[in-house]
Amino acid sequence: MIYLDYAATTPVDSRVAATILALLTADGDFANPSSNHQAGLRSRAHVAHAAERLGALINAHPDRLIWTSGATESDNLAIIGAARARAHRGRHLITMPTEHKAVTDTFAALEQQGFEVSWLAPDSRGLLEIAQLEAAIREDTQLVSIMHVNNETGIVQDIAQIGAVCRQHDVLYHVDAAQSLGKLPLDVGNLPIDLMSMTAHKVYGPKGVGALFIADRPGCHIEPLTYGGGQQKRLRPGTLAAPLIAGFGHAAEIASSCQADDLKHLAELRDQLWGGIRDVPGVTLNGDIDGFPGILNVSVDGVEGESLLLALEPLCVATGSACNSKSQEPSGVLRAMGLSDMQAQSAIRFSLGRPTRGEDVAAAVELYCNAISRLRGIAPEPPA
Amino acid sequence: MTSEIYSARVRKLFGNPAHAGSLAGAHAARVDDQGVSVQFFADVADGRILELRFLAWGCPHVIAAAEALCAQYERRPVSELKSFEAGQLMQSLSVPVEKTGRILVIEDAARSLAEMLGKI
Repeated sequence: MIYLDYAATTPVDSRVAATILALLTADGDFANPSSNHQAGLRSRAHVAHAAERLGALINAHPDRLIWTSGATESDNLAIIGAARARAHRGRHLITMPTEHKAVTDTFAALEQQGFEVSWLAPDSRGLLEIAQLEAAIREDTQLVSIMHVNNETGIVQDIAQIGAVCRQHDVLYHVDAAQSLGKLPLDVGNLPIDLMSMTAHKVYGPKGVGALFIADRPGCHIEPLTYGGGQQKRLRPGTLAAPLIAGFGHAAEIASSCQADDLKHLAELRDQLWGGIRDVPGVTLNGDIDGFPGILNVSVDGVEGESLLLALEPLCVATGSACNSKSQEPSGVLRAMGLSDMQAQSAIRFSLGRPTRGEDVAAAVELYCNAISRLRGIAPEPPA
Repeated sequence: MTSEIYSARVRKLFGNPAHAGSLAGAHAARVDDQGVSVQFFADVADGRILELRFLAWGCPHVIAAAEALCAQYERRPVSELKSFEAGQLMQSLSVPVEKTGRILVIEDAARSLAEMLGKI
């Protein structure tokens, strides 16, 4: 197996796994962190330490973090929670069709509940034009949600500029940072971000834990989506998953220490990968070569995408987003960027990670070129 | 993910489509529909298919089905190809029901070829 699907998920770092294991069993700090006995206090200390570690990674005060089950829950809590909290001021919201399904489906649900959503179209690279955002903001606009790094193309939105526009108009700005946390610099202490969704499993932490950053400023409030306990300021009640949270914190600290090296490593591998396939006739890059170097999305003419994916085995890559890969529908992200159904359908997302080696990329290039050659060899001439 | 979608037989046929290719000067029938293109080529003599080949643009189930069809009907009487129906092939390859339309394209192309060969 050659795993180049790190945008879907990453393996847990062995140091992180050790941290998690230590909080699971009877000989470890397994107690409920809400309990007030000694064991509970020890468990609570692990959660607090994790918040400090994650807070340090994004320059946030630990108190401003809400633990969730992952980025999807964080997105839902941020978007629905903010929309409801500010509904008395207005019911207009703004996002893009190129967002992750966790965001687009949430906005679609809000549309069903009487909110009005403006869906801003991206340019051909997938980027938002700031003038378009400025034109879309109205007096009753309450929330803008634009992601940092796109999960399919790796395109990087200018979150500083988007956030600045939102601040000018007193509109909350939510960022889905699932793909950028720990990989690109994220300083919420200095960026105009009000709400930011994060997840552990994209940064060598465990699946099943995420976080939502909520800025400490007037008007930045959300309503809870679940009820049943007083944990986490009643915003996300329920017993905290202390082992997973501790693992997330440890993964965040590791990411802090090796972010620069990781970026350099990914850029070298991305250049090797693109250099190996760019001259294949009919291959086009979806997005921008200056985007996040961990993701490279390419389409190819004359090849059917599902067959390409199977022909690429044992290479593990994705068509569209992983959540979408079982669907027969072409990627909505790529369609919104102006690709035809055929182009979108042949798109393959290569995503690189910390463990990826140059040999893996070389093997991927060979598999990709051979698969295209083989499938083109058994395809009839295109219809006249 | 893929192991849940494709049966072992589909994987084998897709990975080694021995009948993929064209036959120069052979009889050919092609159908383009449902986002699928399938073309069959046949050399016949005395009412029997001597060689059967295909070219296909489509998902792995389409390619596997085209390969299975060629393997089944090569060296068989043309009359047998006339009665080909996609249902049995879909069952033997465990093709998902949502792909029925694509496999029917293969049926259309095979029947079109059989009809052509029947007029020889």
